[in-house]
Amino acid sequence: MTKRMMLAMLALVGVFLSIYLTLYKLGYIGSLQCAVGSCETVNTSRWATFLGLPVAAWGLGFYVSALALSLLGVQEQYEDRRWVSVALTGLTGWGVLFSGWLTYLELFVINAICMWCVISAVIVAIMFAISLADLRDFRAADASQHPAAISEPMADG
Amino acid sequence: MAKDRVDTGRGRRAEVVKKKAKGGSNSKKPFYAGIAVIVLAGIGALAYVSSRPQNAATTVDPNLATATDARGYVLGNPNAPVKVIEFADFECPACAQFATLSEPDIKKRLIDAGIISYTFHDFPLSIHRNTWQASNAAACADEQGKFWEMHDQLFNMQDRWNGQATRNPKAQFESYARALGLNMDQWETCYDARKYEARIKASEALALKSGAGQTPTFVIGTKMVPGSISFDKFKAYVDSALALAPRDSAAKGAAPGDTAAKAAAPAKGS
Repeated sequence: MTKRMMLAMLALVGVFLSIYLTLYKLGYIGSLQCAVGSCETVNTSRWATFLGLPVAAWGLGFYVSALALSLLGVQEQYEDRRWVSVALTGLTGWGVLFSGWLTYLELFVINAICMWCVISAVIVAIMFAISLADLRDFRAADASQHPAAISEPMADG
Repeated sequence: MAKDRVDTGRGRRAEVVKKKAKGGSNSKKPFYAGIAVIVLAGIGALAYVSSRPQNAATTVDPNLATATDARGYVLGNPNAPVKVIEFADFECPACAQFATLSEPDIKKRLIDAGIISYTFHDFPLSIHRNTWQASNAAACADEQGKFWEMHDQLFNMQDRWNGQATRNPKAQFESYARALGLNMDQWETCYDARKYEARIKASEALALKSGAGQTPTFVIGTKMVPGSISFDKFKAYVDSALALAPRDSAAKGAAPGDTAAKAAAPAKGS
């Protein structure tokens, strides 16, 4: 299991999580009610929309992009492309900043914690860590270029 | 030739090279199997949550309110055949949704028609910063006979005074009290003294005791129904309670209004 495969799987989990939260926000799933520690306060607060779209929909876009990128990065033609790792690190880096800001709002402004949003924030943080590690593998490979190159002919043959 | 091969290997990671050496795309099978499992689990979970019955009703003791000193705020004929209790939080968006969308019809077609009596109990949740103050403002309006007017104002204007809008909601409440034509000195003295704290606490205790886990929660006859519900759903619960009501009172051999009248009397007097 390569790091990009792990990223793809985490992104896929995130896709479903954000589909759930988006449908919830749009009123297709569940019913509106206020319960202690639930997502209602968070998902009905004025911070639940960003630039006209539900925050959960932005999350969905993020996870779909990350899934597409990491699936691409798993394909043989792209396995050794460094830009995929750079893009994944950049994307998940933004994800960490955005969900960090949202978690801050939950804790200190809205004063309510939505469990699903916290799970999403944790997934994004793990994805960022894996992307960084993936990117670092390229550096390591650059440093020890020759051993890698020597095993190459066998691999292609 | 050999030099070419060295060049193609540039930047390629040892990890990837090893994988390829072991035998190409076969090593990706577990990965795609994992992806398939997540897709199936995800679709299954979404199908489950969307098909799960919303607002499942449970059966409770209809006389639970009379067992405590919580009196709430009563609307309608206390001797009506069906008693309805609402546990609500003024700062809860779902409660505001119910109050603005369903409650007008309920008032006109069920309360004013004498079919139900309606008792509002404060259930201020700790997640809402200003909700207790709102209950306080409403209790002080009740002192001047304007609880329901203040109740409507609070729910209509919820986004102006809730915990996200302000840390000091009193100014907003004051403007509603003034608009309702309350005696402002009396209202403000009451508000600052938290005169009805015990009354609000009693309702909160009743809500907790009855097992209400969210707001709004309704007790319609013997059914406890959580969540904001439409008028039609509400009416359906009232109808089934109505069908059961005569049989219940016949079995007990007592007038159904008896206990409710007792509960309502103090509310009327205040």
